[in-house]
Amino acid sequence: MLMVYSVQAQKIKIQKKLASDSIAIPLFNGIIVEGDIASVASSVLSNGGTYSYEGAVKIDLKHKFYPTFEFGYAGADKLTVDNIVFSTNGAFWRGGIDINMLKQKKAANAINSMLLLGVRLGVSSFNYNISNVTIADEYWGGPVQAMNYNNLSTTKVWLELTAGIRVEVLKNIYMGWTIRNKNLLTSTADGAVTPWYIPGFGTNKSSNLGLNYTIGYKFQLPSKKKNTAKPQAGEVTTAKMK
Amino acid sequence: MNVGMYHVTNNTLSKTSASMTIDSLTVRGLKYDNALNKYVYVDSVLYNNAKSLSKINLPLQSFESTSVYEIVFNATVTTPNVLTNKDDIIIYKNKKDTFTVAHQNMDKYLSLECGSIKIHSVDTVLTTNNFIDSVRITKRQVNNINVENIKIYK
Repeated sequence: MLMVYSVQAQKIKIQKKLASDSIAIPLFNGIIVEGDIASVASSVLSNGGTYSYEGAVKIDLKHKFYPTFEFGYAGADKLTVDNIVFSTNGAFWRGGIDINMLKQKKAANAINSMLLLGVRLGVSSFNYNISNVTIADEYWGGPVQAMNYNNLSTTKVWLELTAGIRVEVLKNIYMGWTIRNKNLLTSTADGAVTPWYIPGFGTNKSSNLGLNYTIGYKFQLPSKKKNTAKPQAGEVTTAKMK
Repeated sequence: MNVGMYHVTNNTLSKTSASMTIDSLTVRGLKYDNALNKYVYVDSVLYNNAKSLSKINLPLQSFESTSVYEIVFNATVTTPNVLTNKDDIIIYKNKKDTFTVAHQNMDKYLSLECGSIKIHSVDTVLTTNNFIDSVRITKRQVNNINVENIKIYK
């Protein structure tokens, strides 16, 4: 009796294993559309000094690879202690891929979550103004020269390494955060009138850190979802009935 | 603009120059006054009887292409004499030279925090020869990097 039971149990195990192996994760599993709350919060806190708004689209390939496209709009209005005024605004985008380091859980009640490591290439083309830059001759005297650099335009490119988590808090609603290390690739010539702020990158220095706190919705194809759910349940029930 | 002081020693075969310390120096800027039609002293003094200097830093004019300085030297010049095997010592008291620099001025933007500065390119240096023997331009570019631009020889 005991032997029969154990043999049956083994059979069930094997069948279960076969069942889970045979369910191939489809290539395309939907699109996650995200908005960033952290950049909105920091824009409010900086009181108009700098502002940035961004969103992202992630394509779920095999729950493993997430080609990601991020886009946004940012700007700055800065007044220095010497009354130099810097202003800019412009759109930016970043393209890249995230890789999910967690395996997709098979259990029906498992919380979908992702640990994402990724890279991005960021680009922003924007115009900026720097006004009221003054030069005074302290020793010899004479008039103060004031200069305005208006309507300067440039394109900046940077590389990002990102790490983040996403958790499905409600059905198809994902929340999480991403930290990013941004490294400027575009160099500037000595003496060039460089921008103080780069949309999507932050203040103009060789590297910046960034933080996003995102909330997103996953759009799934209904037919694909059925395919993944049904065979597994069917196999398990037949095994139990034996 | 950085100016260094050098003393030239004539040997039988060659000339050598070495950095020289001036006992005391007074440097003032001279600015052309269009109303008076002559050069007048700038209000403040650049070096006021400054002791033991071997180099001086002279600000060039930001908005004019000629900068004129009056330099008053008090110096003790020691030259080894090969014939007598002793040092020849000459003491100069209140020797006044007018030192004129012709230059171009350009703007250079540094950053939002530092703003812009004037950088210069030295074209010509003229001097009277009451104390100064000769001058040489060693680096024409005058900017925020501190290097010697002109050598004054005695």
